[in-house]
Formats: sequence, C-alpha cells, structure tokens
Amino acid sequence: MPVTFHLKRTPTVPLEAEVLTPDVIGGLSNAEIRALTVYHGKRQLPLGEFFDVEGEKCEDLVLHGTMPKVRWVGRAMSKGTITIHGSIGMHLGAYMTGGLINVHGNAGDWIGAEMKNGFIHIHGNAGGQVGAAYRGALQGMRNGTIIIDGSAGLEVGMRMRRGTIVVGGPTRDFTGLQMKGGTIILMSGAEIRTGAWMKRGTIISLKPLQMMPTFAYAAHLNPVFINILARTLAPFGIRLPNEESEGAYALYSGDRSIPGKGEILVWQPGA
Amino acid sequence: MYWGGNPAECHPRHFTKYTIMQKSKFLPRGRKDRTMVLVDIRETKSANAADIFLQIKPGKDFELITILRAMIKDEYVADEQINATGLTRETLDDLIRRMKAAKFGCMFFGMGLSMTRGKHMNSAALLMLAAEMNAFTKFVAMPMRGHGNVTGADVIMRWQTGYPFGISFNRGYPRYNPGEFSTVDVLVRGDCDAAFIIGADPGGTMPQPAIDHLKRIPTIVLDPHITHTSALARVHITTAPQGIAAPGTAYRMDELPMPLKPALKSPYPSDEEVVRRINEAIARKPFWLPDGSQPQMLTRQV
Repeated sequence: MPVTFHLKRTPTVPLEAEVLTPDVIGGLSNAEIRALTVYHGKRQLPLGEFFDVEGEKCEDLVLHGTMPKVRWVGRAMSKGTITIHGSIGMHLGAYMTGGLINVHGNAGDWIGAEMKNGFIHIHGNAGGQVGAAYRGALQGMRNGTIIIDGSAGLEVGMRMRRGTIVVGGPTRDFTGLQMKGGTIILMSGAEIRTGAWMKRGTIISLKPLQMMPTFAYAAHLNPVFINILARTLAPFGIRLPNEESEGAYALYSGDRSIPGKGEILVWQPGA
Repeated sequence: MYWGGNPAECHPRHFTKYTIMQKSKFLPRGRKDRTMVLVDIRETKSANAADIFLQIKPGKDFELITILRAMIKDEYVADEQINATGLTRETLDDLIRRMKAAKFGCMFFGMGLSMTRGKHMNSAALLMLAAEMNAFTKFVAMPMRGHGNVTGADVIMRWQTGYPFGISFNRGYPRYNPGEFSTVDVLVRGDCDAAFIIGADPGGTMPQPAIDHLKRIPTIVLDPHITHTSALARVHITTAPQGIAAPGTAYRMDELPMPLKPALKSPYPSDEEVVRRINEAIARKPFWLPDGSQPQMLTRQV
C-alpha cells in the first residue's frame, strides 16, 4: 500500500520538500510523515500543512496535484518509487542514486541534476538543465536514465559524465553543452548549438541538426552499438532506426575548440 | 578588443581615460602603441576609433568565439563555417596572429554579447577564450557595465556571500543558482510574494510577465525619481540621490571603490538610512528560524 500525498494547499512561494523521498518516508508512521519539515519560502512548516497523507511505512510514494512550485522531490533517493500525477517543480530527483520516478505531467528545470543512478520517466514536458551539473560543478549526471516524452528546455545534459537521456520532443539551445560522456537521444531534434564544447559522449538525433562550426563530418555509418541501445530502450516504446535499407547515421566529431572527441550522429533516411 | 559594445556612445570616457589613449611607461606613444579591435553586428561610432572592425552576422557571436578557440589551438575549421559568421579566414588568421603577438590583451564585452541569444554562455565563451589566450600571452576579459553602481552590487554580494547574484537565503545560508533565484526568472515564474526594489527600474526593462507579477504582489521601491516601477508599486519611498545629495561608495567598472561626497543637501533620507530603519523594525520581530534550528543544507552531502 503506497503512501499517498494529495496537495491540499497550493504553495504561494516555492515549497522545498526534499523530505519527499522513499529513504525518509520509508520507515515513518503516518503522524511522523505529516510532522516532517518543509520549507515554504523561508518558513519551516510541517508537511501535513500542504498534503493529505494516507498510508505509512512504505517506500512507494504517490503524489497527486498541480505542484509546479514544489521543489527537490526525490532528492538523493536511493531506493523505492515516486509516482507523480500532475506537474512538479524543479530539482526532481537531483543527486538520486537509485530508485524510480514516474511523472504523469510536466516537470520543471534541473531534473535528475547530478544523479548517480536510477530512472526518471517524464510523460509530459520538462524544463532545462536535465541531468545537468549545478553551477560551478564539473560533472552532471554520473549514471542512470532519464526519459522525457515531451519537449525539454535549454542545456539538456550539460556537463553530464555518463548515463542516458532520451527526449521525445524538441529541445532548445545548448543540448549536451560541455558533455563529458554518456548518451543523449533526440527523437525530434534540437535548436541551435547542440553539443557545443563537447569533450566526449554521444548525441544521437533522428532529425537534422544545425551543427556547430567546430564539428566536422566524418562518415556515414550504421554503428552496432545503436542496436544494443535500441534493444534497451524498446520496452519504453522508443524506436531507434538502424537498418541499412532504411538509411544511415551521419557522424560528426568535435568539438574542435576543446579539442574534444564527442560524436553527434544524425539519422539520414535513405542515405 | 571590444565585443558587442559601443563605448564611443555608451562609455564615452573609456577610450581616453583607460584603454587606448593613455601614455604609460611601456607604451610611451599611447594610441600608436596599441591596437583596438571592435567586433559588432553593425558599424557603430566606435568603429571610427578602431584599427580593425569586424562586422559579424547577428547571433553568431558564440560560434565565432568557439571558432577562435579552435583556431588558436591550430585546429582546422572549414572555410564555409568561418564565412557563415560573416568573416573570412584571412581576417581571423590576422586577428589571431595579432592577439598572440600582443603583450597584454584586454577584452571588453557589452550587452550585444551578453544579452543576445545564448546569454550567459556567450559571455562564458569570451571568458574561456581569454583564459585560453593566457597559454600564449597575458589576456583578461571584463564586462562593460551599465549605468549606476551595478559593479558595486556584485562586489558586495560576492564578499558577503561568495556569489555575485542569483542568491537565495531561505535556508539560512546563501545558495547560488542563476535561473532559479535570479530576479527576472523569479518574477516571470511568480515565485515571490513581495518585492523590494532599490536603485533599479524593472518596470521599464523586464519582460511583461515579470511586470504583471510586480503589479500582483506588494512592491516597494526606493528611488530618487518616480520610475515605471513606482507607478505599479504599492509603496514608493523617495530617497536622496547617491553621490549628489547622499554620501556612499560607488564601484568603478574595474571594481575600484570610489567614495562619493554629497554636493547638495536633500530633504529625503538616503537609501542606507531607509534600509537601516526597515532592518531595525524587522529586528523587533521574532527570529524567523525556530529556536535551535540549524540550516538544512541542500548540497550534495546527504
């Protein structure tokens, strides 16, 4: 029986609720959960002030409500699941090391920022800085998977080190900025400056991209690793084409300004 | 090297007092010993003062700086890519040769770089270029700040908190995250339920959603003049203008503090006095953190 949270009072200023993680909630009784401290702006208030809580002592959390101002949900979680029905605010699953987050709605910026492991699935749109490094940090997400069905904002996967990000809709500028590793898959392409200052890592786009001037065309190919990636992502309804009869990937390498060994693969049907 | 700025019209004393005209021990001939490069999307009045004027296509600053970062490391960039920025390979080769041959290079960047598409990453690109030029010769980069004491605000925030802007204190310790805590983003998202504006006019400069939110919430303005923001504020407190009727310290663009002596008397209190009295009134209220509570850190330490 999962612990269920229904938003009863809409926060007027950002509500920082980093206690909403399976690690904290898992061992607590219903009364203890309602007494947990959240930050409404600078004021410390009990969680029960904002949420109706049902259930106790369970590592599966279900949140209901429109919560674009609720931040830091699932911060540093290592186990369990969080399911969100409605929209959620910034820093969802930041620093997480394991477990699963499902959002049936939209999410804010900094999803899975600096995460080490785990799985995040956003069924709606996401904001910017998905899986990114916080300002001043050298590495973004270290591992794990983020799947976004809708669109995403600026600086997706900024400075990420390892792991996979899949974006179904279009992303905005600076996707894969300063990437150090990992894989970003863009099903509907991106705006400008994709892969700027990449050191390593892979960006796969199924739509044409406007390339940075410091990327050079290398070859057309059907890499074998795409088949393995496609098999891993198939359960989520993501299809990566790689049949030679269908087309090929144009490989661009860069960013020469670093100089980096990153690669951008752009799918070209019929090539 | 000026990038995306027009100092001839916006900072008219910059050339003569600081950058190109002054004679010095190592540059005894002043202007003749220096090379000035201007990079902009249109030919402004500053172009007359420049030795080299590079007219680039709008929105290509980040691309051009990234090309320069590649070319100073002798990485190959294709001709058509260089031409797409509006310049030619010969121009860039000449520019890089001059940059590497310089004894001391200084880059100044204006709003044409920092406020166009790409924003902070455009500035970051130029700062990275300046940092990497130090492999060859001394190079620095400095923003061309706007009116008022904006540098002072950054400097004070920096030594008080460690960060120049975009800071939140809600946890009891300063946290820095531009985009989350920077003024325009907070207002556009409607994250704040009160605004205290001192020495600025967001009502005249910020996007419409931010202005709409300022109208919704109690906004308090401290300004010597009636501004656009005063018109939509709940409270406007007229203060004495700094440097004219109130003493203070202004920071020059290169972060040099300059004491200001008032020349006139004003019937209005200074900004400092108003803020001090507000602080005293707040100090009489109970402390906002519960007794014995410690800041709950939100950093990576779990």
